[in-house]
Amino acid sequence: MNSKYNRYILIGLTICCLALMAVTSFTDQWLAPLRTAVGYLVIPIQSGINRIGVALYDEVEDYTMLKNALAENDALRAQIAEMTEENNRLTAEVFELARLRELYDLDQEYMQYEKTAARVIANDSGDWFRVFRVDKGSADGIREGCNVLAGGGLIGIVTDVGAHYATVRSIIDDSSRVSGMALQSGDTCIVGGDLTLYKEGRLTITNIQKDADVKDGDRIVTSDISSTYLPGILIGYATGITLDNNQLTSSGYLVPAAEFRNLREVLIITEMKEDEVSEVE
Amino acid sequence: MRRAILNLVLIILAFTIQNSVFPLIPFLAATPNLLLILTFSFAFMGGQRAGMLYGLLAGVLLDLFYSGPFGFYTLFYVCAGYLNGICTEYFYEDFITLPLVLCVVNELAYNFYIYVFRFLIRGRIRFLYYFRELMVPEIIFTVVATLFLYRLLLFLNRKLKAFESGRDTTLV
Repeated sequence: MNSKYNRYILIGLTICCLALMAVTSFTDQWLAPLRTAVGYLVIPIQSGINRIGVALYDEVEDYTMLKNALAENDALRAQIAEMTEENNRLTAEVFELARLRELYDLDQEYMQYEKTAARVIANDSGDWFRVFRVDKGSADGIREGCNVLAGGGLIGIVTDVGAHYATVRSIIDDSSRVSGMALQSGDTCIVGGDLTLYKEGRLTITNIQKDADVKDGDRIVTSDISSTYLPGILIGYATGITLDNNQLTSSGYLVPAAEFRNLREVLIITEMKEDEVSEVE
Repeated sequence: MRRAILNLVLIILAFTIQNSVFPLIPFLAATPNLLLILTFSFAFMGGQRAGMLYGLLAGVLLDLFYSGPFGFYTLFYVCAGYLNGICTEYFYEDFITLPLVLCVVNELAYNFYIYVFRFLIRGRIRFLYYFRELMVPEIIFTVVATLFLYRLLLFLNRKLKAFESGRDTTLV
């Protein structure tokens, strides 16, 4: 009798889940208040535990670092001699670089966006997804679709916001697709995350037109035509570009500009592409 | 009542540690799935009803915090609670082999579930790669975590039972 009852509960819950999945595939706006409410309970705990974790981790790291530092010191002394020489050579090259930079006219534009800093407080459970949570939310002006940066490169996009937290899907997540373009030629491409390439620290670049001018080492930035990403944010550098079998498009890999391991702080751009578009209109 | 509060605290703590602390530890090649351990352990110790309730709580927590269709995780965890609850007949305290076997089976099922519905569905067919690089490390770390955590849960369970029945002796 009891086990029959259990079976009914299971069937009931299963139907509920399936129905919810079907509904939320289309819209999950109505979940926001619930998410925010639970957020009030869990976020302080997560934030606190994260802080303790970071503190402990730093402590342990300090100790190991001290031991390593002594050994490293000797090695470094030897290196200094080597580097002094190298430095002389490089100084000469700096002048050349400065000149080239001017020519290149690096897009200053993306530094002008309004940004807010946030701390990473939790990662996704498990290794299937590259999703993380930060400690700023709609109360700090963050909205769904905001772009996230760190270390001078694009990190990801906000997919989900509560009052005091936001979930960010990084561009290395398997399901991430970013519309990009080569900075110097303006040729568009699609930058996609791929779990099988993650360990090598690479992403894929696809859909480059056959005669487009994208070469290895080219800077890839977010494109002007993207609907969700602001234009001109550095994503990374192209590498291994080859012609596809269909002879119409090329594809290759991208080495991201940002460092994804041990991500602790990120910058979130509070301006959004939508705003810009509507302003123009 | 005490049991309910303790369970809720345990779940939130497990969820937090899993997401906020484990990623900081450099030598962990994969994150042990604490929520799954909690779910199948309680199902195993407390039966199907307890398992489903636990699964529901754990699943809802995951679903609330991660995007994607709401109910994706809940469905799995509830079913896991139900199915593991069947094994409760074979439960006796010092029997650690069955929990470990359950752990491996659950982990395999969980990872397979994610692979099929979130990856295979988008045409990612290199199953062996995902199996080798993601599933195996996670299973190993979760089994190791089970070794410790299961004992702790047993201990808590015993204490609670003793408290509830008003006796000071341990239940055999």
